[in-house]
Amino acid sequence: MILEALEREGVEYIFGYPGGANLPIYQHLPEHPKLKHILVRHEQGAAHMADGYARACGKPGVVFATSGPGALNLVTGLCTAYMDSVPMIAITGQVNSTAVGRDAFQESDVIGATSSVTKHSYLVTSIDQLPRVIHEAFHIATTGRPGPVLIDICKDVQQADAERVTPDRLEIPGYQPNGHVDLDNARLAARALASAERPVILAGHGVLLSRAEHELFKFAEKAAAPVGTTLLGIGAFPVNHPLSLHMTGFMGTGWNLKAVQNADVLMMVGMRVDDRVTARLADFAPNVKTFIHVDIDGSEMGKNVRPHIELVADARNALEAMTPHVSEVDAGRGRWLAQIDAWREEHPLKYTHSNGHLQPQDVLIDMYKRCRSEAIVVADVGQNQIWAALWWNYNRPGLFINSGGAGTMGFALPAAIGAKFGRPDKAVWCVAGEGGFVMTAQELSVAVEHNLDIKIVILNNFSLGMVRQFQDDFYGGVRSQVDMTHIPDFVKLADAYGLPGIRVDSLDQVGPAMDAAEKTKGPFLIDFRIDPEANVYPIVPLGKSLNDFWEAPDK
Amino acid sequence: MIETPQPKAAPTTSPQGGEARVRVLSVLVEDGSNTLSKISGLIRRRGFHVRSISVGPSRQPGRSRMTLSVDAGHAETDQVRKQLERLVEVIEVEDVTGEDVHSRELVVAKVKASQVGGLVERGAKVLNTAADGTTVEFSGEGKDVGDFIDELMRHGVLDVARSGPVVMRRTA
Repeated sequence: MILEALEREGVEYIFGYPGGANLPIYQHLPEHPKLKHILVRHEQGAAHMADGYARACGKPGVVFATSGPGALNLVTGLCTAYMDSVPMIAITGQVNSTAVGRDAFQESDVIGATSSVTKHSYLVTSIDQLPRVIHEAFHIATTGRPGPVLIDICKDVQQADAERVTPDRLEIPGYQPNGHVDLDNARLAARALASAERPVILAGHGVLLSRAEHELFKFAEKAAAPVGTTLLGIGAFPVNHPLSLHMTGFMGTGWNLKAVQNADVLMMVGMRVDDRVTARLADFAPNVKTFIHVDIDGSEMGKNVRPHIELVADARNALEAMTPHVSEVDAGRGRWLAQIDAWREEHPLKYTHSNGHLQPQDVLIDMYKRCRSEAIVVADVGQNQIWAALWWNYNRPGLFINSGGAGTMGFALPAAIGAKFGRPDKAVWCVAGEGGFVMTAQELSVAVEHNLDIKIVILNNFSLGMVRQFQDDFYGGVRSQVDMTHIPDFVKLADAYGLPGIRVDSLDQVGPAMDAAEKTKGPFLIDFRIDPEANVYPIVPLGKSLNDFWEAPDK
Repeated sequence: MIETPQPKAAPTTSPQGGEARVRVLSVLVEDGSNTLSKISGLIRRRGFHVRSISVGPSRQPGRSRMTLSVDAGHAETDQVRKQLERLVEVIEVEDVTGEDVHSRELVVAKVKASQVGGLVERGAKVLNTAADGTTVEFSGEGKDVGDFIDELMRHGVLDVARSGPVVMRRTA
């Protein structure tokens, strides 16, 4: 009955791992050939695969795990999806309903352990609840602000016979996502932005989740307002557009940060305005007279920055409602845009070329030349993530996937696998540091088993680079526990898992290695030995304001 | 520049006129095994603090009414209501801080027989009399209940139990 319900919800892939408490589900799985089950090597990998799948194709990712350790291994993956508002359904096995609370074998309080990292969760102790619960779970996961929903199903319920029932109409009194736009505030917001002298729009993940990039583009062009994105909002606005401010936040571009700090009206769309965006909150956008905040989740209003005009609504609906009210754009706008151009000239993205080491940016620039705006890039967490965010020109939405809110190391490989299942038509590149890569490297087996055409780029600096950079710059220069000298030879590791791999030590080897990767149909790994001292710039020192960003030193 | 509206501030309704850090909320919830733990977990996770909590069945079957007093901690005070509203188990949240409400707390106390007269004069009701003491109950506004308990303490009390407040608006 569980599997029938999943078919009814249009599920195509399940990422899972069987065990004692979900055996009844697996017993019937072969009877449902439409549900393609991907056997992972660790449950965390299943959660990240479902996450990557959902981010790439927009459909909710589905995960199976057994009780106890199986379910608890999902927690990091659920948190990753929850922080970034990714729709996911996790179905976990639980011990028999009569055994709950008796510390049975592989029993754990999964609901208790996951309540704070799921949008909602259900413990199913009776078969009658099941059709309603599954239907509700999909509805809750995919509507409003999306998120993971967990369904913990007792083993006896999985085995129970039930009449085939289609769920009743949805009735969830405590769940009414807001779709309505306050038209007065929309008009007020549009006029405030259009008549501003120095407006800035910042776009977050919400713009991509509501597929509002087209509306954002129209609105921004009409209002002649520059647009920056958050790390997760990358792709919401083309970076090669003259109005683009590229990425904001504490590792954002210099011209973006200058614009934000000098803006008089700041419109924040589909974003949480977290500490990585504001840096020191008291000094965030100090010249703004009118903060405008658009988000589908009302609790984001005033959580960090108190807006003057708030629109609790879907980003696309809100932008659509605002655009007609942009009539006259302030006469001083040309001066503001010229100022931003000057900042762009003054604070370009740059990096050190000339110390004889391979630079991570060289690798990414070569990658970009090959993929243009066609491939999906899945980054891990740390320096590799920020380099991939800044040194690629993402001109279309949905091409950059990373764990922004939770910052989960080990995300990239399984998420890239999930993304390839979700978008088999797209080239998929996985960019990771060696530290994060070894956290979930066992999922290489899944890529090989399904001959997934993903290219794995390891930016290997034999150290936890971001931590090392922080220690160097903000923690007294004490390098503590950041050396990753004892890691596997990744080419041999690839060979052991059954995929081709190649090692690159210098710039002249980059092109041929990328050629080889592109020629190979199936997974391919490249171990790039990059400059161990390469740093991420710009960066705002911890605890400082966005004004205080450091740039790459000139060398 | 068009006229800028004032930011929508959190309701400032404490009697002192400053921002009341403690919000009094009347919350209608769906009964369920996880409801109470979801609410208490949320309050802990967001850095709020519970001052008092009382729960009982509402007039709708399958739903309970909670009266919560919650200190918002370092958060914006309206976050307490907004975060509660996000929970699927929560049907309705009404912030009644500083509103014109009936607010009632209950105290049940066991006292020595010699004290009963004075307490009854203050409005206490005798529940039962036994050899080891007399049990009385008293209900009222939080302050009156507090004064009542102070008086009990002055004269010695054998045992005392106090509820959190339940509230209802004076006008519909």
